[in-house]
Amino acid sequence: MKLILPPGLSERGLNRALDAFAGVTGREWVLRTDEDRETYLDVYAPGNEASHAPSAAVAPATTEEVQAIVRLANEHHVPLWPISRGKNFGYGGAAPRMPGCVVLDLGRMKRILEVNERYGYCVVEPGVGFYDLHEYLQSRKLPLWLSVPGNGWGSVMGNALERGFSATPYGDHGAQICGMEVVLPGGELLRTGMGAMSRGTTGPMFHHGFGPSWDQMFVQSNYGVVTKMGMWLMPAPEATLSMSMKLPDPEDLGWLVDVLAPLRLRGIVNHIVSVQGCMASATMSSQRKDWYQGEGALPDSVLRAIMAKHDVGWWNFTLRLYGDPEVNEANARLIQKAFAARTTLPFTIARWSRAESGTIGGPAPGVFPLQIVNWHGGRGGHIGFSPVLPPDGKLVVEQLRLTRQRFREAGIDYSGTFYISGRHVINVNLIIYDRDNAGMTQRVRGLFGALVKDSAAAGYAEYRTHLSYMDEVAATFDFNGHALRRLNETVKDALDPNGILAPGRNGIWPARYRGQRGTG
Amino acid sequence: MRRAVILRAAVWLLALPTLAAQGAHAGEATVGQALFQRHCGICHLKGGTGTFMLGRRLGEQNALLETRKDLAGDYVRAAVRNGIQSMPRFSRVELPDADLALIVQYLGGAQSR
Repeated sequence: MKLILPPGLSERGLNRALDAFAGVTGREWVLRTDEDRETYLDVYAPGNEASHAPSAAVAPATTEEVQAIVRLANEHHVPLWPISRGKNFGYGGAAPRMPGCVVLDLGRMKRILEVNERYGYCVVEPGVGFYDLHEYLQSRKLPLWLSVPGNGWGSVMGNALERGFSATPYGDHGAQICGMEVVLPGGELLRTGMGAMSRGTTGPMFHHGFGPSWDQMFVQSNYGVVTKMGMWLMPAPEATLSMSMKLPDPEDLGWLVDVLAPLRLRGIVNHIVSVQGCMASATMSSQRKDWYQGEGALPDSVLRAIMAKHDVGWWNFTLRLYGDPEVNEANARLIQKAFAARTTLPFTIARWSRAESGTIGGPAPGVFPLQIVNWHGGRGGHIGFSPVLPPDGKLVVEQLRLTRQRFREAGIDYSGTFYISGRHVINVNLIIYDRDNAGMTQRVRGLFGALVKDSAAAGYAEYRTHLSYMDEVAATFDFNGHALRRLNETVKDALDPNGILAPGRNGIWPARYRGQRGTG
Repeated sequence: MRRAVILRAAVWLLALPTLAAQGAHAGEATVGQALFQRHCGICHLKGGTGTFMLGRRLGEQNALLETRKDLAGDYVRAAVRNGIQSMPRFSRVELPDADLALIVQYLGGAQSR
């Protein structure tokens, strides 16, 4: 595709920088052909791919090479967009927020530096994928479990840096980060927490260190390039007890939230609970035309047909108890009792034990959920709108009602999942579209804008968003005249005066490119 | 069969080894086959999302790439680098040209398998 340059840089200037990068990595790892650029575009973009097109990519193999490239980027005023494996599908993939950035592809840095069975942690480089780490654990029969997101193709580190999550006890992936090695925007190397000692041995074991605790500063930000990360891994439990239930009506979500959140808060349920709508089973196994040929959002009668054919409820969830079988059984009784006060619907129970199975068990990575992009056929795409709500049944049902209304108005099929914790609910609304249907993508953009606005009016915002909406979502954090933005950008300018790292990420713009806010 | 595949994907796969693990222990398999399993197998082995999508689009007989006899090298290379339908593109960092060439060679050899 046509070369798109970053603002203020000539093609000659870019080429000089790329030649300098090649001096660090070798020419093979500076990717600058038309085809190379295209491989970093957002394959599921809801609009024009060129809005987030890179000018090239460079792929260092070591931390020292990252440092050298970052220093050269300062010298040549070339903005970089770091990626781990570039599988941030639905949020922009490998593409940069600002067009013309050079992708800093860390996919060659894929060493699993340590897996500590005794203390339950690993230390990994950015290119390590969930498949890699899973294979490592399974092939060595190490009794540690991964927590894997819906798209298991991505990077362990990259997903944590985006605050990815999953319905497991260690499912808040950003919260499992413990200790980092970071290349700062000037090229200096930093280690955080206890790892900041030259001889520090407890970096991956203690979150905070001494004084300010910086790990989270590098999450969903553009303040450094993380080159190593400690992550906590869950010890494999002796046994699990699973309790599944199907709920028949959309409004059942309200009482479910009111029953589940206290169980989660009290630790009886110790994982995020995924409550999945009936559409999930249809989008993962069939196409829209199998169910409905008409215009507009799927009517309720079609949803009922999906439920009947797939034997699913309007909502579906599974609670899992982990650990000693006797404790699991006792907690299951407490859960049964709490539910009995609200419903006579039955649980389907399943049990698993390490001893009986003869395996370590645990979640395996997979990519089957990506099937959803085939819903309309052709070149499909998806983005998510995922506000954070209070775990209050009445408020959650009101949010559901308003969201479904907006989907209907836009003529887009509603597909929602609610992830319930003790103190919050994350509501992931999947927006699936045909990228070659200009009218549909236009309606999707309108729908997204309406959802951001409605949620902000109710006091909710997203936990993560697609590149194209980062400024829009960041703008909803508007207390005291956007005091948070001022802080974020004061820090950005102090650390990165040339603005070379990921300009615009999560709405944080360096002074050099601040005029780009709201574009693209 | 289809329902079973979906349910397996939708629930936790306790004790199921990954396809990548199978690729890493391919035994007597060729390097090209091992690379195919590692890079393509997460979607394009039996039960995978790519196999499922191709089955819908081209019929069950054309769903599994490893048994196809019509996969020209240029076509495979273009699909990998440019993406096709819902399939994402692979950069030269994720799949270097030399490895892609071995996968192309492996898929092109289906006639003799």
